[in-house]
Amino acid sequence: MVATVLSLKYRVVLHQLQREWWRALLLVGGAIWSLSLVPAVLWAQYALAREPLDVRADILVGAGALCAIGWVIAPLLVTGLDDTLDPGRFAILGASSRQIMPGLTVAAALTVPAVFFGVMFLILARSWRHDGAWVMAAAVAGSVLTVTVMVVGARIAVAWAARAMSSRRARGLSLIALIAAFGAIAPAIWLSLRDGLESAAANELPVMLDWLGRTPLGAGMAAPGALARGDAWGAAWRLMLMAAVVVILHGAWRANVAYTLVHPLHRGGGVQRRSDAILGGPRQRPERQGGAGREIARAVRSRALVYWATDVRYLVNAFGVVALPVLIFVIVVPVLGLDARWALAAPVVLAASIGWGRHNDVAYDSTSLWMDVVAGRIGRHVMAGRAQAVLVWGVPAVAVAAAAIVAWGRFWPAIPGLLGACAGALGATLGVSAVSSVVLPYRAPGPGENPFGAEVGSLGASLVSQLVSGAAMLAVLPFVTLPFILSLTHDGRWGWLALVTGVGIGMGACVAGVRAAGSLYDRRSGQLLTAVA
Amino acid sequence: MPDIQPASASALSLRGLTRRFGATVAVAGIDLEIPSGSFYGVVGPNGAGKTTALSMATGLLEPDAGAVIVHGVDLWADPERAKPMLGVLPDGLHTFDRLTGAELISYAGLLRGLPREVVRERRDDLLAALDLRQAGSTLVTDYSAGMTKKIGLACALVHAPRVLVLDEPFEAVDPVSAGAIRRILISFVESGGTVVMSSHVMALVERLCDHVAVVGSGRILADGTLEQVRAGVDLEERFVGLVGDVEDGRDLAWLRQS
Repeated sequence: MVATVLSLKYRVVLHQLQREWWRALLLVGGAIWSLSLVPAVLWAQYALAREPLDVRADILVGAGALCAIGWVIAPLLVTGLDDTLDPGRFAILGASSRQIMPGLTVAAALTVPAVFFGVMFLILARSWRHDGAWVMAAAVAGSVLTVTVMVVGARIAVAWAARAMSSRRARGLSLIALIAAFGAIAPAIWLSLRDGLESAAANELPVMLDWLGRTPLGAGMAAPGALARGDAWGAAWRLMLMAAVVVILHGAWRANVAYTLVHPLHRGGGVQRRSDAILGGPRQRPERQGGAGREIARAVRSRALVYWATDVRYLVNAFGVVALPVLIFVIVVPVLGLDARWALAAPVVLAASIGWGRHNDVAYDSTSLWMDVVAGRIGRHVMAGRAQAVLVWGVPAVAVAAAAIVAWGRFWPAIPGLLGACAGALGATLGVSAVSSVVLPYRAPGPGENPFGAEVGSLGASLVSQLVSGAAMLAVLPFVTLPFILSLTHDGRWGWLALVTGVGIGMGACVAGVRAAGSLYDRRSGQLLTAVA
Repeated sequence: MPDIQPASASALSLRGLTRRFGATVAVAGIDLEIPSGSFYGVVGPNGAGKTTALSMATGLLEPDAGAVIVHGVDLWADPERAKPMLGVLPDGLHTFDRLTGAELISYAGLLRGLPREVVRERRDDLLAALDLRQAGSTLVTDYSAGMTKKIGLACALVHAPRVLVLDEPFEAVDPVSAGAIRRILISFVESGGTVVMSSHVMALVERLCDHVAVVGSGRILADGTLEQVRAGVDLEERFVGLVGDVEDGRDLAWLRQS
C-alpha cells in the first residue's frame, strides 16, 4: 500500500508538470536554491563544533525551536501545504485510515522541504562529533525526531485549523482562544524584551532556551548537550519525550484522516437568509441609485462582502494578512530594541499587506466568474466592486491600527503623515493587486477546498505572481512613505505633504489600477476562466 | 440544402471555430447556422467538444480561430452589443454559491444592468415559475444538482435574452421540474426566441428540438432539421451510426452473480 500511495503521488506530480512544464523549472529552481544553502549549513556546523558546549547546545535548541514554530505557522499564514494526497480523495476507494496512513506518512517525509530540513538537521548534528559516539548518536536521534515532529506537526496544524474554520461556532471559539493566547503571550514577550535585545540575550534568553529544551520544540536538540554534560538521564528522557510526542502527533493525524474519510467537506451551514443582500432592502431611496456602471459595481461589492463574511478562504486570507504585521511588530520592534517610532510602521505595513494580499483576488472566484464574463463588457465595474469590498473592511482595520498605535505612543504630531502613508499604501497596493490579479492569476483553493491547501508546483506559479506584484508594490511604496519618514526624522511639516501625496497617490493609483485592470479583464475575459480553473 | 436560411436570419452562427488545449484538438473547425426562432439541439458523445464549442459561442473561452455571430453582431469583436442578447447556462462550473438562490438571480440581473425594481419583480417571477420559492432563501451551496441547474437557468433568463445557450439544462433535474423548464423554453421559442441546448438524451432532443447538430471529435457530423438529420430512422440509431458504436463490446463474464 505504501508503494501504491507513493506512486500515486508522484504520478500526479509528474502529470501536473507535464501539463505545465514551467512548473518543473520552478520546482528545480527551488531544489537548487535549497541545495545552495547546504554549504552555509556545513559552515555553521564547523563553526558550532568549535563553540563551547553550552553555547552550541543553546544555539541548536534555539534554531530547532524556531524552525519547528515556522513549520507550524508557515502553512497557516503564507503558503499552504501540498494536498496532493488529501485523505478525502481516498474516501470513495473504501480504504481505511489504517491502510493509507503508512503511505501518507512516507509521502509527507519525502517532500522537498521535509528532505531539506532532514538533511540540514543531520548536518548540524555532526557538530557533536568530537564528543564521542554516544553523544553523536543522541544528536542524530534528536535531529530525526525534531524534524519528524515538524513534518507531522505541520499536518496536524493544517488539519485542525481547517476543522476549526469549518463551522461558524468552531470559528468563533477558535478566534476567542487565539485572542486569549495572544493576550497571554504578548505581554510576556513585551516584558522580557522591553529593555532591548542585549539585556534580553543576557538574562531572559538563556532561561527561555533552557525551558524550550524541555519542551517538544527543543528537547530533541537539547538531548546531545545534556549527554555531553554527563547528564545521561536528561538526554534519555528528552529523547523519550520526543518519541512520545511523535507517537501522539501521528495518532492525532491518523484520527484526523479517519475523520476526514467519513466526513466529506460540507460547505453549507443550513443558513437561511430572507433579505436579499445583493438587491438591498425593499425601501430604496431613488436618488441614491447611480448610473448603470455604479449599480453593477455595487452588486459586485455586495456579493464580495457576502464572501468576505462567510467564505473560509477569504477569512483565512484576511486573518493571515492582519496577523503577519501584528506578529512582526510585537516581536521585531522590541527584539531589535528599535526606537518606539518604528511602531508607527505597523499600520502602514498592515495597509500594504491588505492591499497586496488581494493580488490573486480574481482566482478566488474560481469558475464562478463565468457569471461576470457572460454579462458583457463590465470588467471595470467588476474590478471596482471588488476593490470597494476590500476597502469596506480594510479602511476601518487600518484606521483602528493607526489610532491604537498613535494613542499608545502619544504620537499626536505624526497623525497627518501617518494618515497619508496609510492611505497611500492601501490605495497603491490595491491598484497593483487589481492589475496583477487579472494579468497573473494562479490557482487558488476552490470553494469548499481546504483553505490551507496548496497544489504541488503552485508554489512556482504563485511565486512568479507574488514576485512581480511584490516588486511593483515596492516600487510604488516609497512615493507614499518617504515624506512620512522625513516628517518623523527631520521636520514635522513634512507630515502635511505626506498627507497630501499619500491620499493623492493612494486614490490615484487605486482608481488607475482598477481601471487598467478592468480593461485588461475585458480583453482577457476569454482566457480568465482557464487561467483560474 | 434548400431550407437553410440566409445568414442574416441566423440567431447564432459559428464560423470555423477552432480550439486546441496543448496537444489535443478539442474543437476542429465548427461551422453552424442556428436559425432564428429554432429550438436547436446539439448532441454528441462524451468528450466530443460540445462544451468547448458552447463556451466559445458564449464568450467564456477565446477561440484560436473562427467567429461567433449573434444576430449579426460579432461576439468576440463587439461583446458589448452581443452579450446582452445571450442567456447562458454553462455545465460543470461553480456558481457564487455563498449567495441564496434569490440573491444569485438578483446578482445576475444587476450585472446585466437591469434597474432594481425590474430585478426584484423578475426574481420573484422566476422563483415561482421554477418552483424555487421555498429554496429562495437557502444558500445555493445547499442545493441539489437539479436545483442548481434550475437556479442557473433562472439567471440565464433574467435579462430576457434573444438567444439561450444551455449546456445540459435537464441533467439531474427531476421530472416535475423538467416539465416546468420545458414549458418555459417552448413558450420562449414560440414567442420568437432561440434556444440552443446540448444533451445526451436523444428522446428529449427528439421531443423538443426542431433542429439538430451531431458533434463528434470536435467536428459537425450532421446538421439540419430534425427530419433531415434523422433520415428516416430514429435519432438514437442515426447518432450511433454517425459516431460509431463501442468497438469492443466484450462481455464482462466475471461480473455475473452466479
